[in-house]
Amino acid sequence: MDLLANYDWSLVWEHRSELLHGLLTALEVAAVALVISTAVGLLLALARMGKPPLSWLAVIYINVFRGVPALVSVIWVYFGLSLIIGISFSVFQAGVIALVLLYSAFIAEIYRSALGAIPRGQREAGLALGIHPVRVFARVILPQATKIAIPNIGSMFIGMVKDTSTFTVIGLLEVVRVTQNLNSTTFQPFVLYTAAAALYVMAAFGIDLLFRTIEKLLATPPSGRVARAISRRRRKRLEAVMLRLDSASGRT
Amino acid sequence: MRTPLPTMNEPRPTAAPPAEHPGVRPEQVVRLEGIHKSFGKNEVLHGVDLTVHQGEHVVIFGPSGSGKSTLLRTINLLEEPDSGSVQVFGVEYGPGLTRGGPRGSAIELRRKVGMVFQQFNLFPHLTALGNVVLALRTTKRLGRAESEERAARALKQMGLLRWAAHYPAELSGGQQQRVAIARALSLDPKVMLFDEPTSALDPELVGEVLGAMRALAEAGMTMVIVTHELNFAREIGDFMVFMDQGLIAESGRRGFLDRCENPRTRQFIAAVL
Repeated sequence: MDLLANYDWSLVWEHRSELLHGLLTALEVAAVALVISTAVGLLLALARMGKPPLSWLAVIYINVFRGVPALVSVIWVYFGLSLIIGISFSVFQAGVIALVLLYSAFIAEIYRSALGAIPRGQREAGLALGIHPVRVFARVILPQATKIAIPNIGSMFIGMVKDTSTFTVIGLLEVVRVTQNLNSTTFQPFVLYTAAAALYVMAAFGIDLLFRTIEKLLATPPSGRVARAISRRRRKRLEAVMLRLDSASGRT
Repeated sequence: MRTPLPTMNEPRPTAAPPAEHPGVRPEQVVRLEGIHKSFGKNEVLHGVDLTVHQGEHVVIFGPSGSGKSTLLRTINLLEEPDSGSVQVFGVEYGPGLTRGGPRGSAIELRRKVGMVFQQFNLFPHLTALGNVVLALRTTKRLGRAESEERAARALKQMGLLRWAAHYPAELSGGQQQRVAIARALSLDPKVMLFDEPTSALDPELVGEVLGAMRALAEAGMTMVIVTHELNFAREIGDFMVFMDQGLIAESGRRGFLDRCENPRTRQFIAAVL
């Protein structure tokens, strides 16, 4: 096979540790950004669903930052925002902030639709029990909305990992930057970029698997082998308590 | 043509007044006065009065859109009246007859008043026990072990102990509604509100929920029930309220369903029974 003969695929194996390290960096930036984006996104969603003028500000923010490309965002944060507020961010920090700016806007919309999908009766039932409205939100509404939002948040995470590829412009040693560096000494762009693409796809599969498991864990009743194994123990403990109570009260 | 309220010729004493204090007026638990409520431009309650005494079972019935659910929901301020007085055990929780007067907090009110909904409204992400435990932990500030035990006792009372670890989606409608009753009862309410508790149930499941309510009534719980189950109402109701077009058209004590003379009421009863 000519195709395989002309390219030196052993390069990929040779430089596996640099490439994997690049992926790890990408995943770290994206994971930190995901946690912050989810929190900020939830607050934005609440602001968006609240009263003006706060809701207007949220609408403006969401529509602006959903439209900004990651490349522009990170350049703006690393070179612009640093100057404006007089703090120089590390490339890692700049990457996280750039992603949070964009993805909190997306996650705000995800949470807005998820919160809107919870029937009104859930809030009313919580209030009617005399539970404080803040706790009704935290313990009744939010867990259910999060369950709805999880699959979409997983897709956002995959998107965030891919968007880290643009952070090569600020010199973050993620997958693309590593690939570029290797290419400049080996001149094998086809091989190296194919390897880079394979890494992103692997990451996407892994993230998908992770979020599916979380989804199954949050399902009621929990579904899937892993989730059921975890919840079975909890249910067994509960049933033991029930049985003890049942026999205790039966005697009296 | 409206007949006077037939309170004077009761066939037999109701369960409401405590037998050990004959002649003593039982305590007023709920007192609504002049309740007005609009949704947008549409006024659905045009100044309604209703008093519920200790141990009394009040049944509110009437056509849909008559305002009966809205009236029930003003008692625990799920609907805030535009004007009027909502008093529970003598404390004003509504806007009041003289606006701007002292007012109890809604949370305080709701901790005295339990409510059961047509759609059950169990929390689907929690088990049957978890539903009751959440209510206990957040309102009574009990520890985990104690609230689990109290929750289990509440479920046992409804005959649901073996379903405690199940999620609402795994339970029948009747079981879900009984969990909802257990959840409300676990907080020791002084009065229970039922908003069409059997209307969303398959016919063969209605009996188990009515059975639970009957047991509660016999135990002396003060209850306000919005229902179309007029046979059940006749059986346990001490005071019947017929609502039509945002007003109480007619009301009366035991036997009212068979004695009422307002043609609108008679027509409705004939259609439902």
